[in-house]
Amino acid sequence: MIPASFEYYSPTTLKEALDFLSSREDVKILAGGQSLVPLMKLRLAKPRTIVDLSRIPDLNYIREQGSRIVLGSMTTYEQIETSALLQAKCPLLPQTAAVVGDVQVRNQGTIGGSLAHADPAGDMPAAILTLAAEMKAIGPNGERWIRAEDFFVGLLTSALEPDEILTEVRVPALNGAKTAYLKAAQRAAGFAVVGVAVCLRLDQNGSCNNLAIGVTGVGDKVYRAEAVEKILLGKRLDANFIEQAAREVTRGVDVIEDINGSKEYRSHLAGVYTVRAVKAAMQA
Amino acid sequence: MAETKYIGKTIPSKEGARHATGRGLYTDDFTLPGMLHAVILRSPHAHARILKVDPQAAREPPGVFTVVTPEEIEKKTHPFKPGRYAAGLKKAIPEYAGAIGKVRYVGEPVAALAARTRGAAEDALELISVEYEPLPAVVDTAEAMRPTAPLLFEELGSNLAWKGSLHYGDVAAAFNQADKVVREHLKIHRYSSTPLEPFACIASFDAASKKLTVWVNAQVPEVIYDALREALGLEDVRVIIPDIGGGFGQKIHLIRKYVVLISLLAIESGRPVKWTEDRSEHMMAAGHSCAQEFDVEAAVKNDGTVLGLKFKEIDDVGGSISTLTIHFTNKLNNLSNTYRTKNIFLEGCSVVTNKCPVIPNRGIGKPGMCFIWERMMDRIAQELDLSPIEVRSINLVQPEEMPYTTPSGNIYDSGDYPALLKRALEKIGYEKLKAEQRREREQGRLLGIGVVIGVEPGGRNAARDMAIFPEMKESPGSGGVNGATIKIEKNGTVTLFLGSPNCGQSHETTTAQVAADILGVDPEHISTSTPFDSDLAPWGVAAANSGNNFHLYDIGAVHGAASRLREKILTLAAHVLNAKSEELAINAGVVQATGSPLKKISFAELGKIAYGNQALMPKGFEAGLQATFYYTFPHGEPNLVPGPEGLVRAQFTFSAGAHVAVVEVDKETGKVHVLRYLIVGDNGAVINPQVVNGQIYGSAAHGISVALGEGFVYNSDGQLLTLTLTDYGKSSTMETPRIEVEHRPSPSPFTTLGQKAAGEGAAIPSPAAIASAVEDALRPLGVRVRELPLSPEAVWKLMQEAVR
Repeated sequence: MIPASFEYYSPTTLKEALDFLSSREDVKILAGGQSLVPLMKLRLAKPRTIVDLSRIPDLNYIREQGSRIVLGSMTTYEQIETSALLQAKCPLLPQTAAVVGDVQVRNQGTIGGSLAHADPAGDMPAAILTLAAEMKAIGPNGERWIRAEDFFVGLLTSALEPDEILTEVRVPALNGAKTAYLKAAQRAAGFAVVGVAVCLRLDQNGSCNNLAIGVTGVGDKVYRAEAVEKILLGKRLDANFIEQAAREVTRGVDVIEDINGSKEYRSHLAGVYTVRAVKAAMQA
Repeated sequence: MAETKYIGKTIPSKEGARHATGRGLYTDDFTLPGMLHAVILRSPHAHARILKVDPQAAREPPGVFTVVTPEEIEKKTHPFKPGRYAAGLKKAIPEYAGAIGKVRYVGEPVAALAARTRGAAEDALELISVEYEPLPAVVDTAEAMRPTAPLLFEELGSNLAWKGSLHYGDVAAAFNQADKVVREHLKIHRYSSTPLEPFACIASFDAASKKLTVWVNAQVPEVIYDALREALGLEDVRVIIPDIGGGFGQKIHLIRKYVVLISLLAIESGRPVKWTEDRSEHMMAAGHSCAQEFDVEAAVKNDGTVLGLKFKEIDDVGGSISTLTIHFTNKLNNLSNTYRTKNIFLEGCSVVTNKCPVIPNRGIGKPGMCFIWERMMDRIAQELDLSPIEVRSINLVQPEEMPYTTPSGNIYDSGDYPALLKRALEKIGYEKLKAEQRREREQGRLLGIGVVIGVEPGGRNAARDMAIFPEMKESPGSGGVNGATIKIEKNGTVTLFLGSPNCGQSHETTTAQVAADILGVDPEHISTSTPFDSDLAPWGVAAANSGNNFHLYDIGAVHGAASRLREKILTLAAHVLNAKSEELAINAGVVQATGSPLKKISFAELGKIAYGNQALMPKGFEAGLQATFYYTFPHGEPNLVPGPEGLVRAQFTFSAGAHVAVVEVDKETGKVHVLRYLIVGDNGAVINPQVVNGQIYGSAAHGISVALGEGFVYNSDGQLLTLTLTDYGKSSTMETPRIEVEHRPSPSPFTTLGQKAAGEGAAIPSPAAIASAVEDALRPLGVRVRELPLSPEAVWKLMQEAVR
C-alpha cells in the first residue's frame, strides 16, 4: 500500500529533467501517474528515482502548426477532450480521451504518460496509431521524431530510450475525415477489453479512399488492422461488406487472453467493434 | 402505540451528514500515543508446507519493534474454539490466528510485524525469509473429492470435510405421486461485498491491569470478544467499535484472526499497534461467499404444483474448517421460499479447497436457496408448457394461511405473496411488455422479462444449527438477546446507548424515531452514543450487525427501554405536578396534564429533580432518569430449539419481495443491459421509508452486479486473479439500473411495531431475477441459464452453444 522508498525530483526545465535521467539509476518518469502510482503502491514497480515532469512549464499545450496539430506530452485527457481545436480538426483525439478511465483519471492522466506506458489496452495508443502521429523524443543527443508505427514496440514497451523524454505529439489536421473510437469497456474500470479507432474518408461516390483502423486490447501491443483496411479501401462500405472484412481484424495477431475475455471471445469482439467503429465513423 | 409522529416517516438521517462530509470516525482515524503500525506477511502459495521462517533480517532495521512468526503464534496463542459451523467435523482441527505448518490459500497470514511507521513496516516485511515446500493446489471441488487428491487437512483423510442431510415430510411419496420430475444442475460463483473500508484494528494492552482494549471495525462484538479471550487467555477485554465503512457480513468472521495477531504484537511490543488492511489483502484473504453447486429435482403435478424438492449441494468452502457448513445451514432460513411444498430433502457436502475461506455475505446461503427455487419454477413452466407466473402462483403460500409453518419449522409471520406478485406485474405492465417482446423479437432484439419472488428472513436463532448437528457438544444458545439504554440527561436531552455497532444503515436515525414517539420528543433531541463500547453497551448475543437482527432485537430493546423510561418520567411528573399519570401526555419534551394548561413540566426540569433534588421525588423513586431493556423475541416458541424431527425456526420474521427485471441482451457481444428493475416488497411496518429504500437499493445493486459478472477468479494453481477492484469487476453506479421500489407492507403480528427485516432482502432474489430475465431474452435460441455470473462472455458462449 505504501511504495518502496524512492528519490523524488521535480525539475522545472527539460534540461534538468534530462540530466536526472542520465545521472540517476533506475529512473521512472512521472507524467500523471495514473498507471505508475498504483503499480508502485502494489510494489509491482519499485523505481529508485522518480522524475516528475509536472512542473516543467512548456510541456502542456495544444496548438495548430500548419497542416498539423501539436500537443505537449503533459497535456491531460481532460484538456484533449474539451479542446475546441481538436474537436474541429482532429476529433478522434477528443472522442478517445472522453472515454478514458473516469473523471479523476482524465484530470490527472496525460497523453505522453499513456503513450510511453504503451499499455496494450490503452485507448490513446489506438488513436495515435490510427492518426499516424509522430512523437518527439528528446535525449542527451538532441531530438528525434518517432513514427507511431515504430513507437509501440511490445508489451508495456515503447521505442523511447531510457534517457529520452517524450515531449510532443504531432497529429495531422483531418480536414473532414470521419473518425470514431468505440470500445467494449471492462465493467469496473472501463479499460478496453477491445477498442477500435477508425479514421476514414469517403469520396463523392461513397467509396472509401482513405482508411486507418487501430486496435487495442487484443494483442500484446496496439496494431493497425491492415488486412481489414486493405479489403475495404477503394470500396463502397455496405454493411455486409464491412462485416465480412472485419473478420480479418485479428489476422496474424496473437490474441491475448485474461479474465476479461478468452482468445475466442476477444477475437469475436474485435470483429464486432471493428464493424461498429467503421459504421460510427461513417455516420460521424 | 397511540400516536406515531415519527415512526413511518422519512426524517433526515442523523448520521448521514457526518458520513457524507468526512466527519465520521473510523478505526483508522484514531491515533494513540506511541502507536506502532503493523503489516501482515501472507502466503504467496495456494498450498505449501512452511519449512522455515527466519525473521532475523526484518528485526534489524531501525523502527522495527516486533515480529511474530508461526512458531511464536503457536507458542503464545491458543487455537480458536471450533464454532457452530465446524461442529460436524469428524476430528477437531485447531485453527490459530496464523498459518501453522502449512498454508492453504494465497494470502493466508503467516507472520506479522510492527514498526514505527507503516512504510518502515512494509519495507521490513520484505526481509522476513520464509522457506516453503509448494504442494499441488486443489482448486476445484470435483478434483478435491477424488481419492488421489492432495489433502488440505491430512488429519481428515479427505477434502470432503463434511457431509450431511436433512429430510422434511415424505419426499419418496411426493416423487411417487408426481406426474413429472424436473431436474436441473445449478451453480453460483464466489463473490464478496467489498465494503469501502477494509479491516482495521488498534490493540492496546495495559500490562499492569492485564486489560486489552481493541478498536476494530467488526460487525459482531461477541466474535472478537470471544476470540481474544480464547486465543490470548485474557479475561479483561474491551471491544470498541467506531464507525464502520460497510459490513455486509464481511466483517464478522475472519477479522478475528487479525485482531488476535495485532493484539499479540501489542502485548509483545508493549505499545499500541494499529493495522489497516489494504484492498488486495482484503480481496485475497478477508473472506468470500461460497461457490455452490446444486443438483436439484422437483416432483411436480401437471398443473405445476411442486409436491417435493430434493437437492444436493456442494460447497467450495476454501482453506479453513471454521465456516464449513455456514452456506448449507443457512438454507434452512428460506428453505421453502414463498411456496407451500411440504416435502423437502437437502444434502450438503462441504469441500475444502486451496482458496480463501468462505464467510457470511448478504444472505449467506439464502441467495442460493432462492436461486434454486426460482430457476426451478421457470424450468417447470417450460417443461409443462405453463407460464412461469402460473407455476409460481399455484405454489404460493396464501395470505389466509398466515402465520404459516413451513416443513422445516419456520413460522412465516405474515405476508400476502400473491398480492406482491400481482402488483409487481401490474406495475411493470407485464402483458404489454410481453407483447412488446414478441414484436421486438421479430426485429431481432433479445428482450427478456424475469419475474421472481423471495422471502427475506430476519432475526437470528442461535439454536438453528442444532438441526444439522443434534450432537453439538457445547450449546450454541437459542434465540437472541440484545439490549438498549435510554437516559434523560440533567438538561433534558435524551441519550441512547445501543447494544450493537452500526455499519452505516442509519441505526441512529431509526432508533431515534422509535424512542422519539414513545418519549414524546423530537428525534433531533436524541443523540446516540458512539462508538460501541463493550464496557458500556447493554449488549447480548444478538448485538450483531448480521442475520438481519437490528429490526427485531435492537428495535425491540429500544422500544422496551423507552417505554420503561416513559413510565418513570410520568411517575416523577405526576408527583411533581400533583396529577395522575394517566392524565399526562408528553409532547416536544414537555409533560402536560390534559385539561390543566398550567400543569406542565419540561424534561430539563424533571432532569434537575431526578439528578439533584431528593425532596421533590416521590417516595421509593429510584433517582435518575434512565432505563435499560434487554429484548428477547416473545414469540420464540414453538420450534425455538430443534427437536428430533429437526424442526426449527431458523429466523423469526419474514419479509418478502417480488422482483421484475427487464433486460436486453446484445446479441453480438452478450452484454446484458438492465432496462428496468422493479421490487414490490413487504418489509413489515416501515419505520423510515428512505432508510429502508437505501437498504433495498444497495442490496439489489449488489445482487444484480453479482449476477452480471462481479466475482473472484482463481487460476489452476490457486492464484487469485482478481486482486483489485478493477479486476473484480463490481458495477459502479454508472452500470447500476434505477431500482423502482413499492412497499406493500404486511405488519408482523409478532414484533414490537409490526416491523420486519430489510438489510439483505433484495440481494436474495435479485441474482435469480437477472438469470430469469436473461434466459427469457434468449428463449428464441433455446438457451437455459444454469449458472452465474452472466458476464458478456458467458452469455455469448451460451448463445454460441445454442446456435451450434
